[in-house]
Amino acid sequence: MLEIKNLHARVEEEGTEILRGIDLTVNPGEVHAIMGPNGSGKSTLSYILSGKEGYEVTQGSVTYNGENILEKEPDERAAAGIFLAFQYPVEIPGVATMQFLKVALNSQRKARGEGELSTPELMRLVREKSQLLNVKPEMLKRPVNVGFSGGEKKRVEILQMAVLEPTLCILDETDSGLDIDALRVVAEGVNALRSPDRAMIVITHYQRLLDYIVPDHVHVLSKGKIVNSGGKELALELEKDGYAAYEENAA
Amino acid sequence: MSIQIAKTAAEEVYAELDNLPDGYGDIRQSAHSAFAENGLPHRRIEEWKWTDLRRIVDQAYPPAIGGEISAATYDALSAHSPFADIASSRVVFINGRFDAERSKLPENISVQMLSDTPEIDFSLREGDAVDALNLAYASDGALIKIAKGDSQNPIELLFITAPEQAATITTRNVIELEEGAIATVFETHTGSNQAYVTNAVTEIKIGTGAVMHRVRLQEDGPSAIHLSNTTVNLAADAKLQDFTFTLGGATVRNQGFVTFDGENASANVSGSYMLAGKQHVDTTLLVNHAVPACESRELFKCVMDENSRGIFQGKVIVARDAQKTDGQQSANALLLSEGAEFDAKPELEIYADDVWCGHGATSGDLDENQLFYLKTRGIPEKQAKALLIAAFAAAAFEEIENEAVRDAFNEIAQSWLARHKGA
Repeated sequence: MLEIKNLHARVEEEGTEILRGIDLTVNPGEVHAIMGPNGSGKSTLSYILSGKEGYEVTQGSVTYNGENILEKEPDERAAAGIFLAFQYPVEIPGVATMQFLKVALNSQRKARGEGELSTPELMRLVREKSQLLNVKPEMLKRPVNVGFSGGEKKRVEILQMAVLEPTLCILDETDSGLDIDALRVVAEGVNALRSPDRAMIVITHYQRLLDYIVPDHVHVLSKGKIVNSGGKELALELEKDGYAAYEENAA
Repeated sequence: MSIQIAKTAAEEVYAELDNLPDGYGDIRQSAHSAFAENGLPHRRIEEWKWTDLRRIVDQAYPPAIGGEISAATYDALSAHSPFADIASSRVVFINGRFDAERSKLPENISVQMLSDTPEIDFSLREGDAVDALNLAYASDGALIKIAKGDSQNPIELLFITAPEQAATITTRNVIELEEGAIATVFETHTGSNQAYVTNAVTEIKIGTGAVMHRVRLQEDGPSAIHLSNTTVNLAADAKLQDFTFTLGGATVRNQGFVTFDGENASANVSGSYMLAGKQHVDTTLLVNHAVPACESRELFKCVMDENSRGIFQGKVIVARDAQKTDGQQSANALLLSEGAEFDAKPELEIYADDVWCGHGATSGDLDENQLFYLKTRGIPEKQAKALLIAAFAAAAFEEIENEAVRDAFNEIAQSWLARHKGA
């Protein structure tokens, strides 16, 4: 499904290489956790997969369902099924959340040659998906992320994911800024979306999130490279021993 | 010693006494002399430094009154008004002359025409060329008097300017709200492709505890010069909500003069521009907190594309006795191209010591992070940009109380975006 080969990338303006040869294969239905210390390149990887400007791929390739995605615009990647749940969801004043969901879903459907949903159809869909995530109808009338608490923002990210039904979900530090109750609600929402056709990449600094979203594979990212891969038990080891060992090895 | 500057072609024509209409006794003469003394304001006058009228009014625009327009022209131009279904009455002025047939006057509200009322007592705003020209040449306008308990249905004033040759069309309206009255007045200004100057003055007097809502749409023709003054006096506990949405005209200068005469009054003067080409729109406001405990709000959201230029000058004066004044102003611009420009000059002149006053001005491009966020949700760039621009303008429309007007303005913004940004 997702095939990353020898991916090297740098920040366009600075020229510092942040990713230094990443290889990763993600198959449908799998949940991969990518763990690593600050500055290891975790967020950069999520930005490159979703197409943020300002990064330059200097070597390697990324294909999704056999297609090179690096040349595609972020909206084209979204229509192809890639979704990034932001570490810091962006506020969009003046655009109501419900309207935003409608424009987003219908843009994707249009790009895929599917029919657009009417407002009542969309509202029904959104309301149904909102319940599990405890997103109240009043919140959907408010501008996207404006005045939302940290927990509300993350819940609305997962709601977007549930409504847009991507095939590859990238969760960038979804646990940051969440207390344990909020984390549980978000994780439940994510787990409800696990399916044999859908893959997930969960990026996190801490093992805590992985107690709730249990991964099939865990990778350790350090200084722009995957330095170790294993099963879910690898996360527990990291929790115990920290990243120090990897940082020394990589140096 | 004074240096005589050669008169421009426009000034020459304005100086010809033969053009003065009848009525209003000496005030026309003295307004005319006041104008003749100083001529058109130019960039060496501080308040006009960004809008040099002497240069902008680039040819003779002889003062004119009336002149029929065809039914087709009327239909095409009046279609710009979004208020037709919202207002329950409409007062139409064609080339500065009241058109009874096309109007539907409100019931139970006193509306008279300036041209039928030659006795009204006007006073000239000193040193103000726009007002001087207006008083000298005003041909018509609506005199609306609203009492407590009168109908609160919105009234539209529709000004259509389509002269056969370059001309100056001058109108003057007076709106008086008696104690406890509530009124909503819409103004639509629209015009043809012909080059013209429109000079429109509205005087608003809001009595004790009265509430005035005014919404103005400026969609003048592409070669038009629109000069306007709005003068507002608020008695105690009175309230003003004033909003101007400017999309049309080559050059627009909107001056607003708000004076608090009684305590605990509030005034909100807000607006939005959506400009392209070489349009030049200038809002210059003066709010005078002459008495204590009043509140003023100014909020402008301006969208500028191509080589257009937006200007906001806001001066707030707080008199020595005007304690507990609350005055806030903000002007935000969204610049959609390299050639677009926005100039803001907020000014506070505070003589009291217990006040809460502030101002802020920002200008910039669309936010890259917002754009990226929308794109990652599958929204193509062009549409994402349009969504953000529309949201920016919509934030200003929130100042308008009437929901139907807000919706109509959002639609106008959308169609502007479709014309200019291909959204």
